[in-house]
Amino acid sequence: MVARLEADGSLDGWGDLVLGALEGRDGLEAQLAGTSASPRPLAAQASPAPAGAFLRSVAVEGFRGIGRAQTLEVAPGPGLTLVVGRNGSGKSSFAEALEVLLTGDSLRWKERAAVWRDGWRNLHHPAASLSATFLMEGEPQPCVVSRRWEAEAAFEVAEVAVALPGRPKSDLDSLGWTSALRTHRPFLSYNELGSLLDEGPSKLYDALSSILGLEDLVEGQGALQEARRSREKALKDATEGRGRLLERLREVDDERARRVVAAIEGKEWDLGAVEAVLAPASSSRAGTAEAEVLRAIASLEPPDAARVAEAVAEMRGAASALTFAKSTPAARSRDAAKLLELALAFHAAHGDGDCPVCGHELALDRAWDKRQRTAMARLREAAQEAEAAHERAEAARRRWEDLAILKGEALQRASAVGLDLRELVAALEAWVRAQSINDLGDLADHVESASGPLRKAVLRLREAARAKLERREDAWRPMSGDVANWLAAAREAVRRAADLERLKPAEAWLKKAAAGIRDDRFGPIAEKAAGIWERLRQQSHVELGRIQLTGDGTRRRVVLDVTVDGVAGAALGVMSQGELHSLALSLFVPRATLPESPFRFIVIDDPVQSMDPARVDGLARVLESASADRQVVVFTHDDRLPEAVRRLDIAAEILEVTRREGSIVELRRSLDPVGRYLEDALAVAGTAGLPSSAAAHVVPGLCRLALEATCMEVVRRRRLTRGEAHAAVERTLSEAGHLTGLAALALFDDVERGGDVLERLQREAGAPLADTLRRCDVSGEIPPEAAVDLVRLASELTAWLRGLS
Amino acid sequence: MRRGDDTPRVVLSLARGMLGQVDPETAGLWPRAAALLACRALEASIHRLWERRTLDLQGRSMRVQLICLRTYLGDADLAARAGHAWSALSRACHHHPYELAPTAAELRGWLSVVEELIQKTD
Repeated sequence: MVARLEADGSLDGWGDLVLGALEGRDGLEAQLAGTSASPRPLAAQASPAPAGAFLRSVAVEGFRGIGRAQTLEVAPGPGLTLVVGRNGSGKSSFAEALEVLLTGDSLRWKERAAVWRDGWRNLHHPAASLSATFLMEGEPQPCVVSRRWEAEAAFEVAEVAVALPGRPKSDLDSLGWTSALRTHRPFLSYNELGSLLDEGPSKLYDALSSILGLEDLVEGQGALQEARRSREKALKDATEGRGRLLERLREVDDERARRVVAAIEGKEWDLGAVEAVLAPASSSRAGTAEAEVLRAIASLEPPDAARVAEAVAEMRGAASALTFAKSTPAARSRDAAKLLELALAFHAAHGDGDCPVCGHELALDRAWDKRQRTAMARLREAAQEAEAAHERAEAARRRWEDLAILKGEALQRASAVGLDLRELVAALEAWVRAQSINDLGDLADHVESASGPLRKAVLRLREAARAKLERREDAWRPMSGDVANWLAAAREAVRRAADLERLKPAEAWLKKAAAGIRDDRFGPIAEKAAGIWERLRQQSHVELGRIQLTGDGTRRRVVLDVTVDGVAGAALGVMSQGELHSLALSLFVPRATLPESPFRFIVIDDPVQSMDPARVDGLARVLESASADRQVVVFTHDDRLPEAVRRLDIAAEILEVTRREGSIVELRRSLDPVGRYLEDALAVAGTAGLPSSAAAHVVPGLCRLALEATCMEVVRRRRLTRGEAHAAVERTLSEAGHLTGLAALALFDDVERGGDVLERLQREAGAPLADTLRRCDVSGEIPPEAAVDLVRLASELTAWLRGLS
Repeated sequence: MRRGDDTPRVVLSLARGMLGQVDPETAGLWPRAAALLACRALEASIHRLWERRTLDLQGRSMRVQLICLRTYLGDADLAARAGHAWSALSRACHHHPYELAPTAAELRGWLSVVEELIQKTD
């Protein structure tokens, strides 16, 4: 992968994303966030190829079906090992244990309910630990991997240790198997095959690609695609949210709304401006001229009624004083007084005489002087009174001016904020007409009558302004929350959308590279798989040509070039469950045994389930050839595969698993069934610890089982060699019934000749062996002391029977 | 056919011993041995019933005896379960291609049927 990236050269900052994505979603996010140092995969890939590992033992305690500690030992080298046990015997627990040991998880739990996973502990045994011993090629010391749980600890909380020769205890990564466990997964369980095959071509693709070890690529593509989609979606959501927000903002009559609209209605969003609108300072005072105007108007004071009344009264008083003063023209009185003053001064200086102005003879005398002095004083007084009345009138007039409190500028802006000013303007126009009224009495009347409407108009405008302010806040308050929410989402979306520039080329590159890698990996596998399929298919009418994985994303699928009886068919639809499993197995084995895998072992759990006997023969052959240079461990729940292996004379170690109550699991080397029964019979006969009567009851039964098994072995070998079909042979055997019928088949190849069995045995094998058959058949009790002898005779009889051709 | 002195109860307890006691000498062979013993105990308890009733059925096939059991046992349900247990045990007492020995849980179930039957026939 790294080599491919480097070969393409144009990493441009997104190469890291590809490597991050191959580590999964978290790895990709770490790369995007820039929190991951130089990508780890580089280091992992650069480490030298690990040495091939053979399995030597798996020890399990308190895990799944196994209580008391038990160890499965296998020969650490190429070869075939079968582990045979009934379902629930604990055999699969060994397979699971190995997978959990190395991967920390089990694929077979992945799709299961939590209870399945929670049931990992064995109920009968509180201590839980797993360990496995591996032998590395070229390394005499074994490597031990262990996983231990404290009492009550959760599954994930385990102490994992890897003891490698000559190195301090370390963790799983020190094995260098992490990526190989994905690409060359050495485990295959029935569940993995069974559940995925019915779910359509894309699921099958995933299943096969996991068999091919393409999960990392699939997951990597998934991670990149998800990262891209989530970012695109966030951006799309923000854009849609913006549309809805704009629509609503435009309905709100508020300057802040208009500012937000202006900031985001274009293609480029000015998110800073939106934030400024939302800043607390902005929403209270500064920055919104409109609110300021409204607030100014809301605090307007109308003319005070008491002061108006007072002013009017004063005007009226001043007016009457003035009326009175008007009867004495003040100026004339003053001038006359000045003239008289001059005349008196002239008289005082020049004495009695003629009037210098009119020439009247002897007008100026003492009586004149006296008379004129009195007139002058009266004239001065009258002039002062008239002046005071004028001054008071002027002051009273000014009081109107003091009442005109409204500030012109506030009113000018009032129309800009959409308040209805008509009433106020009319009232004011009436009010200011006072300017053109000269008569103070008229003015007083005017002020009195105009002040009421003005007051009402001001109060009304003030209310309107206050209501508007209120409405404005009511409309904005929820909007501001929505704007803030949108802003946060938009910020995040825009920030993350910046990654798209790198995500898109990374995704495109990986998509292309994945196809290449897939073909590279799949080519040799497909070839070998076809070979294995040929062996497994046996009587199947389905012929398999090329297997191809094509497409990607939602169009990924498996193309199988399938023909049924030479006619091109609809691929998987025509295949049975058994055939599908065989197909999956055909793909698994070559992949897990590729030379570059560090695992020299493969572990297959229950491959036989839906196979008919003929296909089991094929499987046995496939396993035989795989075991030529690989350690093949197969767990199986019945005796079909062991039987085929024995009959076909395939070298194999067969182990039997039984599970006692209390989850005590026993393992023992299996012989063929005949040998097994005889050995068991001998054990019961010769066991001092058992009650002797147990032997009396059990030994004949076990000997009978041995003889029945022998007869079946003889018949099966004879008939299969003769070319009879498996199914036909099995039917014959199951119809033969018990020992007599089977013996008739073995001796005469004719199930009907049960009556002749003893006679022929007496004649050819001797009376004691004939009697042995009879004694075993009736399943009667025998004297305990005869038990060992019966086993010996039964053993001779099986040998004799096996000598039949 | 020879018969010893072991009562069905004794044979059943031998079977239970096979199943319950952890003994390395019986490792792996206890399932078949327990099945053989349980089968013997079941057959013996039925024979005991015929003796009590002085019926001459012992020489008949087990199939016939199990059919008669339905009439003479006085508990049709138990007779039916005994029939099932016997055929399962009998299957475990003969070699069948590819079949492995019964499990502990299976044996436990059959043994409890045999026990009921013994109580009923004793």
